[in-house]
Amino acid sequence: MAARLRVVAVAAACLAVFGCGRTTPQPSRVTIMQFEAPVTMDPGDHTSSLTYDVLAPIYEALTKFGEGLAVEPSLATAWNVDATGTKWTFTLRRNVRFQDGSPFDAEAVAHSFARLVDPARGLAGGSRFRAILASVTAADTYTVVFTLRRPYAPFLRVTAVTPIVSEAADAKGILSSRAVGTGPYKFVEWRTGEHVLEERNNDYWGARPAAQQLLWTWTSEPVLMNMSVLTGEADIVNPLPPIFAEALQKSPRVQLIEGVGTSVFWVALNMQTKPLSDLRVRQALNYATDRDALVRTQLRGFGAPANSPLAPADFGYAAATRGYGYDPARAKRLLAEAGYGEGLTLKMAAQEEDGALAEALQGMWANVGVRLEIESMEHGVYSQTIFGSPRQKQAAGIDCVLAAWASDNADPDFQLSPLYATDAWSPASANLGFYSNPRLDALLANAAAELDPEKRKALYATAQQTIVDDAPHVLLYYPQAVAARHVGSATGAARLLPGGRIDFDGK
Amino acid sequence: MRTYWIRKLLGLPLILLVASFLIFAAVRLLPGDPARLMAGMQADQQVVNSVRARLGLDKPFAVQYALFLRGVMHGDLGVSTRSHKPVAQEIADRFPYTLALTSVSYAFAILLGITAGVVAAIYGGKMLDHFVMLGAISGASIANYWLALMAMSLFAVQLGWLPLLGAHGWKSYILPSITLGLLPGAVIARMCRASMLEILQQDYIRTARAKGVTGLRLYLKHALRNALVPIVTIAGMNFGSLLGGAVITETVFNWPGVGRLMIDAVRYRDYATIQGITLLTVALVTSINLAVDLLIGALDPRIRFE
Repeated sequence: MAARLRVVAVAAACLAVFGCGRTTPQPSRVTIMQFEAPVTMDPGDHTSSLTYDVLAPIYEALTKFGEGLAVEPSLATAWNVDATGTKWTFTLRRNVRFQDGSPFDAEAVAHSFARLVDPARGLAGGSRFRAILASVTAADTYTVVFTLRRPYAPFLRVTAVTPIVSEAADAKGILSSRAVGTGPYKFVEWRTGEHVLEERNNDYWGARPAAQQLLWTWTSEPVLMNMSVLTGEADIVNPLPPIFAEALQKSPRVQLIEGVGTSVFWVALNMQTKPLSDLRVRQALNYATDRDALVRTQLRGFGAPANSPLAPADFGYAAATRGYGYDPARAKRLLAEAGYGEGLTLKMAAQEEDGALAEALQGMWANVGVRLEIESMEHGVYSQTIFGSPRQKQAAGIDCVLAAWASDNADPDFQLSPLYATDAWSPASANLGFYSNPRLDALLANAAAELDPEKRKALYATAQQTIVDDAPHVLLYYPQAVAARHVGSATGAARLLPGGRIDFDGK
Repeated sequence: MRTYWIRKLLGLPLILLVASFLIFAAVRLLPGDPARLMAGMQADQQVVNSVRARLGLDKPFAVQYALFLRGVMHGDLGVSTRSHKPVAQEIADRFPYTLALTSVSYAFAILLGITAGVVAAIYGGKMLDHFVMLGAISGASIANYWLALMAMSLFAVQLGWLPLLGAHGWKSYILPSITLGLLPGAVIARMCRASMLEILQQDYIRTARAKGVTGLRLYLKHALRNALVPIVTIAGMNFGSLLGGAVITETVFNWPGVGRLMIDAVRYRDYATIQGITLLTVALVTSINLAVDLLIGALDPRIRFE
């Protein structure tokens, strides 16, 4: 995370030399526009990647992601794990202060984690810890010890995306509306209808960023992102919908910034009811899907077809995983073998925003005799429907769900366990098609506990192929991360980190 | 007459109470789970449940309503599940923006409507009348959403004359208030024309003409004044639709008012915020209808409310 925290923009030099800024002398400010407002200022009380982006300049974590998503030191300078794999000890950076003046120490770290697992707090960000973390204690001022319930390989990656908060601020109960961290920017104001304003933290322990202010704004109209970056009312818009990316490619006023995405789009097939309980039908749908065409039409080329349930940027992604090619004839044969030679009808739940993708699938599947009925749903209705239990989905006649998933830490456990493990059947988590393979469950459990990276990779390679072969999902594509920058804005050379977070430090 | 107004005023709290119940029940009938939306798609069920408990949504409906009502009595509309700020404060922060935008739009609508209506009536049946009315029908039929995007694309993106988004100075008002005021303006224009045409055929107008009253004095002082009653009625009724239209206009122009707050609140099933804004709207529309009654009584002393 902190790689993007070393946020720096060009600023004064650019203003003076190129005269590319505003005429009135004012602090160099970078305006970033997103498509959704932040849900809170408390980094532990949300699971939204766009909220994470807004808070990222203010907060830091024990570790951070460097190039290639390798884990590097941040607020912790060193760490080790004992032989059992359950006891992690972190040595903390000294002479660091929170933006409210309180000292950063082991107590603050222990508190930041303990509050996440406290059921009485009911914080939204607690999911990944409650089952794993047994205790976290301050061994001395600058040493913190985590005790896990079982060996857990993703732990180091999780520490990279768990911001450390000021205990004093949390005790005052203000974190949901004011952010108080140790990062290079400090919180100024959150006008809930307008913006979040952040200002350079001059007491920051690390390299100081150049831009004096960051202004985060948002709109719920995608077309406004496109227009704002053209007029320069936004210096950066992120993420940019592919349809606008294609249009803006030719504009001299805008520069596209392309990065690696971590999200995977798929259709979850309900394996507990006919006809999708039949492997041949699920395989047929996979063969009936022309992924290259989807990338071309839906993503305008900004992406790649999916061959695996992991995204290429995820740790352990196996490029060799054999997916399904486009083969409508084979799809028809499989359907005939399964007794659906006359065709069949499926009902799919999809978000309104994904309407065009749903219709593209409808067209492709119609070619092999599958009539797809699309239930297009508003976001709130959709999220309630797709997390229904097997009985609820059967009652609603939902055969499949169009959805996407991205893990913020690029660890395969966060991409695979919630989607494919048996104990993740919805509503418990996001196994939306009720897939269950005990062999895969064991693989995922062993891989999560395997601390040797090479052995772990091998386990995940097997897991990926197992999932593809069982076909609980029709895997669709990996969208690329795309942002846009207004040419002439004093943002420096902005770039996208894997997963799509913006980093504009001009390197 | 006095008892009429007393009854009307006493009826207000009752209307609000009934409205509060309907709103409270309606938001809970909406499909969609606020706890799931707040926790996010990646949260597991255990976390969603604890968020639900924190929001007090695991309590029985009657208890939730009683708590809400008690809060409202004390001026406490609850806390937004998104911003974690008191809803009353959220609305107070945003309402001035909405009030400013709707007032400017309203003024634009009335000015446009009455001017166009009077001009059309004066030239009744002639080319100019047809032309103005064609404009009015178009104004009433064009989706203001589409119009806004076209205007933004031309004046903000292509020509760069006007700001695209937000509320930064007087220039920011131009596009949103035209977008928002066009529909009520067109409605008022049609009503104004019809009312004026009727009045212009009355005997007293002929008498006035015979006496030598001509031009604007005849049309504005003698005719328009007497044509105002239906215009004020329609203009009053349109204030409500203006507030409704503000939801869309504010979203398109990223205007930091309550309309946009409402859109976000509905998307995330932020019950407290939806309830607060709807209650405010009910109170506003009822008060304005009351004010229109008063104004009509003042304009035409023959009108009596019983």
